[in-house]
Amino acid sequence: MLNVEQLYAGYGRIEALHGISFHVKEGEIVTLIGANGAGKSTTLKALMRLKPPEAPVVTSGSIRYRGQSIMDVETHQVVSRLNMTLAPEGRHIFGNLTVMENLKLAAWTRQTADAQNDLEHIFQLFPRLAERAKQRSDTLSGGEQQMLAIGRALMTNCALLLLDEPSMGLAPVLMYEMFRTLKRLNSEGLTIIVVEQNARLALEVADRGYIMDTGEIVAEGPSRDLMDIPEVKAAYLGG
Amino acid sequence: MDDTNAIIQYGLNALQLGSFYALIALGYTLVYGVLRLINFAHGDVFMVGAYIAFFVSSFLLSPEGLACGQTTAFVLTLVLTTILTSGVGVTLERVAYRPLRRQGAHRLYVVITALMCGILLENANLALLGASSRTLPDLIHKEVINWGGVTITNLKILIFMAAILVFVLLQTIVMKSRFGMAMRAISWDPFAIPLMGIPVDKIIVFTFVMGSGVAGLGGLLYGMAYVKLENTMGMMMGWKAFIAAVVGGIGDIRGAFLGGLLLGAVEALVPAFLPSSYKDLISFSILIAILCLRPTGIFGVPLTTKI
Repeated sequence: MLNVEQLYAGYGRIEALHGISFHVKEGEIVTLIGANGAGKSTTLKALMRLKPPEAPVVTSGSIRYRGQSIMDVETHQVVSRLNMTLAPEGRHIFGNLTVMENLKLAAWTRQTADAQNDLEHIFQLFPRLAERAKQRSDTLSGGEQQMLAIGRALMTNCALLLLDEPSMGLAPVLMYEMFRTLKRLNSEGLTIIVVEQNARLALEVADRGYIMDTGEIVAEGPSRDLMDIPEVKAAYLGG
Repeated sequence: MDDTNAIIQYGLNALQLGSFYALIALGYTLVYGVLRLINFAHGDVFMVGAYIAFFVSSFLLSPEGLACGQTTAFVLTLVLTTILTSGVGVTLERVAYRPLRRQGAHRLYVVITALMCGILLENANLALLGASSRTLPDLIHKEVINWGGVTITNLKILIFMAAILVFVLLQTIVMKSRFGMAMRAISWDPFAIPLMGIPVDKIIVFTFVMGSGVAGLGGLLYGMAYVKLENTMGMMMGWKAFIAAVVGGIGDIRGAFLGGLLLGAVEALVPAFLPSSYKDLISFSILIAILCLRPTGIFGVPLTTKI
């Protein structure tokens, strides 16, 4: 579904990705794990074709989505035409809009009937959002905001969802619930790339993983195999 | 009784002046609300609007032109001025602001660019049309209505109605429509907008269309009310409308409207009690006092730090 080859990218003169290659197959959950500054978020932003200053400039390499290069596609078209979107780190929900407005905004380019079905599905997945539909979204708790961020991404009708640190700031109970929901969405056909600090949790739900370190991919493989590598255990799984 | 009448008369004058400030302030606030950009060229877009109205109406009315009737000419001038002035605003955005935004320029540079665009419009006008002022032809048949000693012209009523109508329309668009929702969302977090599949540039163009169109309408009505058009007319009106928008709470449509009316009221009422040379001195002292009490303006909400 997604093929990244020899991707070099950076901010200004600082190179952040030194030629990474990875792929994602339809129906998979793939995780990128690594320490702070390893280049995980940078990778996701590059995939979404976001622009500086928040996102890096890709200097060489290729990103192919369903066989097509997306290097010249604008971010909003990546979302609306290619059905791939990002739930960014820090959630970035529109705090001055209500929960409902946030969700409707994400369905900007879509047929109403279609979007209405998705809306009901999202309210089923996250009943809390239905309860708070008319509330300004900056009054939501951290966990609810994360639900909204994911719900909003789903409203764009995405087939490939990129998630950046979905567990950040969540209590452990909520964290597990969040990942159970992701698993459920995956079983309904959604392909997911998830970037996580919590490597153990990520590897438990993911089919495959890539381990990043300072802008390079240093290990890859099925999650189970990665969990058995002693260095991975020591560095990311707490021994 | 005479005093009451005089006060009412001043009040009506205040409404007219305030309506102009409001119409221009709405454009400032729309663009600021979306881009956090103070579009300092906006006052001059208003000036260009007035000149467009002059040329369009002259052409429509003159025997060598289309020789339209007065009413037809007025309606056509209204429509064409609004559309053409929108074009001016959109062009500025396209040619001057967008390239800077694309390169991630700091907001200061965009504001300075806007300031320069304003000066450029003023001087282009001077170079092309010379220093002599122009006068809009009569577009409506002026009538004076007399209510027990208080007089009001039909033009004043028209101007105030236009300001209210534009205010209600913009407020509805921003609060209820799909585009309005996107505009509000951009002002909160522009980064996440393309991730919703929304083309940011389209929303920005839409914003400039509305803001400049309203400025064009203001220019036409201003020309009809005050007769003389000069290339520098946008400057002072622009500054004052900008101040009105800030006092109302910039970024808020209601704030721009009320701020405009408030400034108009203060300016028109000061000469009722004091020599008119005190006008600006007193009115701006009052505005500064309001800002001291409410630094974010009447409707402004202090920006909370986002993490």
